[in-house]
Amino acid sequence: MAKLTINGREVEAPDGAPLVEVIKNAGIFISNLCYVDGLPPYAGCRTCVVEIEGMRGVQLACTTRVADGMVVRTDGEEAKRMRQAALSLIMSYHSDRCLTCHRIVKCKPGDTCLRDGVVTHRCLTCSKNYRCELQTTCEMLEMAGYEPWEGEERTYYTTPQPEPDRANPFLEFDPQMCIICTRCVRVCDEVRHTGAITLAGRFNPRIEFGAGGPVHESNCDFCGSCIDVCPTATLMEHPNKWAAMQTERWVPTACTWCSVGCSIFLGIKGGRGVIVKPDTAGNPFSRDQLCVRGRFHYDFVRPHQRLQRPLLLRDGARQEVSWEEALEYAASRLAEIREAHGPQAIGFLGSPLMTNEENYLLAKLARAVVGSPNLDSTAGPVARAALEAVREAFGTPVLPADLTRVPKARTLLVVAEDLESSHNVASVRVKDAVIREGARLIVVSPRYGELCDFATVWLQPRPGQEAAVLVSLLRSLARDGGAAPGLPEALPDPEPEGVEAGELARAADILREAVRDQSWRPLAFVYALPYLAPEHVRATAAALCGLAVLCLGDEAPSCLYVLPQEANVWGMLDVGVAPDLLPGYREAGSPADQGDMERLWGTPVAGGPGSDVWHMLQDAGGRLRALVVMGDNPLFFLPDRQRVEEALARLEFLCVIDSLDTATARLAHLVLPDSGPYSKEGTTTSADRRVLRLHVAASPAGESRPAWAILRDLSLRLAQRLGLGEVRLNYARVAEVMDELAEVVTLYRHARYQELDNGSQQSWDGLSPRAARVPTLRLPANGHGDGHLLLTSRGLYTSYEAAALGLEDADRLHREESLEMNPADAAALGIGPGDLVRVANDRGELVLPAKLTYGAAQGTVHLPLHYRGGAALSLFGPGEPAASVRLSRA
Amino acid sequence: MGLTSRHSSRFTPIDFIADDTGLVARVQALLDDVEPDRAQMLEALHRIQHELGYVPKEAIPFLAAKFKTTPAMIYGVLTFYSEIRTEPPPRVEVQWCSGPACLLKGSRNIRLALEAEFGCGMNESAPDGALGLRLVQCDGTCHLAPLVRLNGRYIGPLTVTDAIQLARRLKEEARRA
Repeated sequence: MAKLTINGREVEAPDGAPLVEVIKNAGIFISNLCYVDGLPPYAGCRTCVVEIEGMRGVQLACTTRVADGMVVRTDGEEAKRMRQAALSLIMSYHSDRCLTCHRIVKCKPGDTCLRDGVVTHRCLTCSKNYRCELQTTCEMLEMAGYEPWEGEERTYYTTPQPEPDRANPFLEFDPQMCIICTRCVRVCDEVRHTGAITLAGRFNPRIEFGAGGPVHESNCDFCGSCIDVCPTATLMEHPNKWAAMQTERWVPTACTWCSVGCSIFLGIKGGRGVIVKPDTAGNPFSRDQLCVRGRFHYDFVRPHQRLQRPLLLRDGARQEVSWEEALEYAASRLAEIREAHGPQAIGFLGSPLMTNEENYLLAKLARAVVGSPNLDSTAGPVARAALEAVREAFGTPVLPADLTRVPKARTLLVVAEDLESSHNVASVRVKDAVIREGARLIVVSPRYGELCDFATVWLQPRPGQEAAVLVSLLRSLARDGGAAPGLPEALPDPEPEGVEAGELARAADILREAVRDQSWRPLAFVYALPYLAPEHVRATAAALCGLAVLCLGDEAPSCLYVLPQEANVWGMLDVGVAPDLLPGYREAGSPADQGDMERLWGTPVAGGPGSDVWHMLQDAGGRLRALVVMGDNPLFFLPDRQRVEEALARLEFLCVIDSLDTATARLAHLVLPDSGPYSKEGTTTSADRRVLRLHVAASPAGESRPAWAILRDLSLRLAQRLGLGEVRLNYARVAEVMDELAEVVTLYRHARYQELDNGSQQSWDGLSPRAARVPTLRLPANGHGDGHLLLTSRGLYTSYEAAALGLEDADRLHREESLEMNPADAAALGIGPGDLVRVANDRGELVLPAKLTYGAAQGTVHLPLHYRGGAALSLFGPGEPAASVRLSRA
Repeated sequence: MGLTSRHSSRFTPIDFIADDTGLVARVQALLDDVEPDRAQMLEALHRIQHELGYVPKEAIPFLAAKFKTTPAMIYGVLTFYSEIRTEPPPRVEVQWCSGPACLLKGSRNIRLALEAEFGCGMNESAPDGALGLRLVQCDGTCHLAPLVRLNGRYIGPLTVTDAIQLARRLKEEARRA
């Protein structure tokens, strides 16, 4: 640490830290218009000049590194004059003359400017007024009245100004506001590794996107990081641009559109979210990064498009009813069915889109109140398959992996179908490792994702053969005499289709080197779970665990990262929404664990293993008579659409708790409106098991209530009817649910809200890895028929909420509304770019335009999962990682 | 500022480029023996411009894949060098010298006259693409100042009258051709 003096104040800072950051962190104002924290200095704006004792003249604070004993003054006369001079040069090119005007406080937007006739742009009519860094800098440097440029002398007036680009739905780019600080260029390049923005030209430098066209035609993925660093109104959010000027408060909460769990601030105006910015002090993994989903999807479904009041199906039509009537109806129907057919006739579906508290109350309602173990979620089978492999390998279902270690890794193996789209910020961190640490990256993916561009080796197997690739790697490493507990004598010898032997050998060499040579460590294994095919997921997860164990031995569990798709998959399992798990990973069917739960809840608990989602649907109308669905949407997330729909129609009573009128809700007998992700209190659990707080930010739509309150009221009414005695079901606040959860689930022991708000983390007691062994390796059969293989995975741009409602602009950029196919396949079928293609098999058919890309391997085509309300899955059979389809020109 | 680095060993861009004009195929053939090394980027641009007269925008995705970077980074390089064109050159191009000797002898008036006659700005082509103006640097032929270059010939010293007559003659020739 260095001790230095800034403006007479003693400050401590790490040796060699950039002086400008130290000054800012000390709470002293220093103008800096081109510096970006954490990036190398650019020294373009020259406004951060300071005086340092013992040095001649003035110094730039951004290029100066602190040293012990440094005496710095930011308030000297000379430095001040130089700053003003530098800023006046910058301003000569900026459109706003208000910035240097002494009258600005007296002006109103409708006033005529009294100074001169050439004022075209005015701060007063700019959407960044009073949240503009350039404006603040001008105020702080006392630029009012500082005017070396007479009237039209300013270069701004002698240069023709480019037109603003407002053609895309997210980002407004108005180059005439630009002061060429190049912060956006550097952030896009060095922080995001996207490289969509460039400094073009030399005599008249300017910022341009892509190959000089509109923003949406470049490779910009609309993460919005450039907006965060832009000191002017050049780069702005398009949605709610004006409303966001009047943000009333910033609510810290978490993004729930994938399992990374980025921490965000939601800006609220009039009870509605109007702007999102990253909460840099929240989740240390996401820090200051978000993706297009986190930044812009808050706005895809407006409050009036959410469910407002309970809906009851009466005489074939849905009617709005009061809460009283709806809850009474639900309780009486459930009680009747329980009476007539037994508790097992009622099933429950929880959801990874809902909070831990809500899933926990659903589990309690199922097992303690109704007494039914039939409890699952559409995301359950895949997640439990991965969990099973992890548990076999390490003796615990919970991996202690901390994602913040990923950007420091030196060797990475990523198994994901396009991590860029499914877990965008995780993908940025993997790229960080590659670019900043020089890490080697192996990507195993049947399809191109942007991460493949950063890979040292990209292994592209046929769909469903990821496990085979990993087993081949395992085999190759085991041949060197590597030993690990559980490693079978005779490993299977698969020959993954589509992967060249040479590439496979190169990947094995990279891993081998990481095992031998400490300088290629840390090693990280990342697996982004798909939506489909639990059997394949189990095989892939097992092979990956095995590979990690062989490479790292006991260290393996802390270097293995399993990322589920949806936000709260792990939390949902933690609190016991699973047919074979009780809360806290107590085992269903174990009398000891059942007794434990009965003691904690003070009531008999249905402890046996129940039916999973597929068995429930199979039994629908027979053994299963009623289904309570909370936040889940089987008609969106499950394959074999036809059969699911028939099963749901056979139910005597389908009750849906959701904030959206989803396809499943439209079939329901009773719909209870939940208030949606931005209007409720609770917690979700990220991929690396950070417990993240959600706060009430927006006002709930209509009479909707948070699902935890709905479940509470329903449980209370049901308990009364069933004459249930001691069980606690009444919670005044959701915090009380978490207090109880902290008692029941070890992981959440320190997750009481008060503790969370003080920065506490999860507790691993009794859940630490107990072993590290290679789990059983079973390779699933790949019995695909002829024709092409259809893959589906989550796209980056389509909003789940809007897609679930079937809104036309669920993908506002229209980047994910086509079938990706290989140009060679297309040529063979006579299909050109943009031609309509018919994709068909026995289950159904879809017609949509083709997009030709080498990213799809020959013989495979790809369709985003969220396209047209999840239409792709209607072509899939259960358990299939890819569907066989016939293609033809439509 | 660094160029965004991509590792990939693919030399074809991931998205299919409809190459109706065959331009991209020509560019691809031209660069067959150019190493995919950043140091060779200018060599590649020179070759393309030498062969086609300009670097077509359609070639940018291909160049980005070749040099393992993004289209924006290629575009940044392209626009940095004023000698590299991104539009097809006009059939006849008048090169106006912007050197100090010419300026002192009143070349600005010649520029204005040429721009007015051709109906296009500096470094632009007239709407029909037949005639165009280009700003060039001094190459030491200052005894002819103020001058323009036409097909490698130096024309000067010019008066404004000469410039207008020259422009009219070129327009007439272009019309007849």
